[in-house]
Amino acid sequence: MSDCCPGSKTMDFSEKTDQGDSETGKRPSQLRQWPIQLHLVSPQAPYYQEKDVMLVADCVPFALGDFHKDFLKGKSLAIACPKLDSEQEIYVEKIKSLIDDAKINTLTVQIMQVPCCSGLVQVAKAGADKATRKIPLKQVVVGLEGDILSEDWI
Amino acid sequence: MLSDIQSREIKEVIETCPEVGNILEEYGIGCVPCSVGSCYLSDVVGIHNLDPQTEATLMYRIEKAMYPDRDIPEPKVDLTKKVAPKEINYSPAVRNLVEEHVLIKRMLALIPAITDYVDSSDGVDKELIMGCVDFIRGYADKFHHMKEEDILFKYVDELGEIIQVMYKDHDTGRNHVRQAVEGAESGNKAQIREHLFGYKELLTQHIKKEDEILYPWIDRQLTDKQVGELFQKCSAADASVGEELPRRYEKFIIDLEEKFLKEVSK
Ligand SMILES: [Fe+2]
Ligand SMILES: [Fe+2]
Repeated sequence: MSDCCPGSKTMDFSEKTDQGDSETGKRPSQLRQWPIQLHLVSPQAPYYQEKDVMLVADCVPFALGDFHKDFLKGKSLAIACPKLDSEQEIYVEKIKSLIDDAKINTLTVQIMQVPCCSGLVQVAKAGADKATRKIPLKQVVVGLEGDILSEDWI
Repeated sequence: MLSDIQSREIKEVIETCPEVGNILEEYGIGCVPCSVGSCYLSDVVGIHNLDPQTEATLMYRIEKAMYPDRDIPEPKVDLTKKVAPKEINYSPAVRNLVEEHVLIKRMLALIPAITDYVDSSDGVDKELIMGCVDFIRGYADKFHHMKEEDILFKYVDELGEIIQVMYKDHDTGRNHVRQAVEGAESGNKAQIREHLFGYKELLTQHIKKEDEILYPWIDRQLTDKQVGELFQKCSAADASVGEELPRRYEKFIIDLEEKFLKEVSK
């Protein structure tokens, strides 16, 4: 990958360490399912039925300090990388099946701000277009330093 | 103390200090003409979702207007911080309601041409008036307002003043329509004009309030789970009347526009 690709450009935020509140105590995981990778999960899994589902780009939870507390809590999850994963047509079919068969309530796609990440939104939209049921679709864009850049129903 | 003002009813605040009405209007908050007016000042300001800076300045000015003698610290205004006007992002079900407003507004835009036509013709074209009434009753009221009343408003405190004002507007609208029908039946052109215009004024303001203030305020309170539910409930309501109904009413408006807007441009 060349240097001109913003998705893989080297950046250093190490100056930023120790920002924000220092925490004491343990933070509980909000994950309530396994597996989570979109190729591995089945839309038939009980944890998807009629739920609010997050489709999250692989890098997001590393950037977002409060991912568990602010986003994962109360939701079901699938993760994927639109840039590196293969056979993404299977992803489209799985999204369709989540909507039509698992009858999920909403789908939130959470991506990084880098341009290649928007591919995951395209995958979600393609799945939603193929589905006969219609559901609300949300896009959340996360900045490289863990800030929420936008959160919109699309 | 600011808190004592915040928990007072807006109408009473404006009555004691009319300057507050002017200040609110400057910020696009039009409480002066409100018929109910028992919203708390804090709710009135809160529902407009001003940025913290603007809200602090607004509250400072209100307090200063009411109690000029009080020693109130002026909020620091950070002029470097420009707040970009944010485009409203409605949740999908609410976005559909906003789109329905568009067709209703097209009807409202036709009212002056229609009443002019009625005034200048010999008798009263009863069929024309009743066609408009059918649109208002079948589309604006039954199809659209019912989704608000039976579904959307249930997600917030229905007894709250803000929703009560909306209910009251819906009722006032129904009354205007009844009066317009009476005018058409008795051949009273002035009555038709008065109440179709009354409806136009009312609904124009009502739709603006919903699009810009009420709907975004409701959306901000909804969880994702509720957004999904609301969408399914509204879709089910639409399915129960069938796809044909909104299409038929859109066709009705297109035909009216053909007839009346062409005549205007001639
Ligand atoms: Fe309404
Ligand atoms: Fe409305």
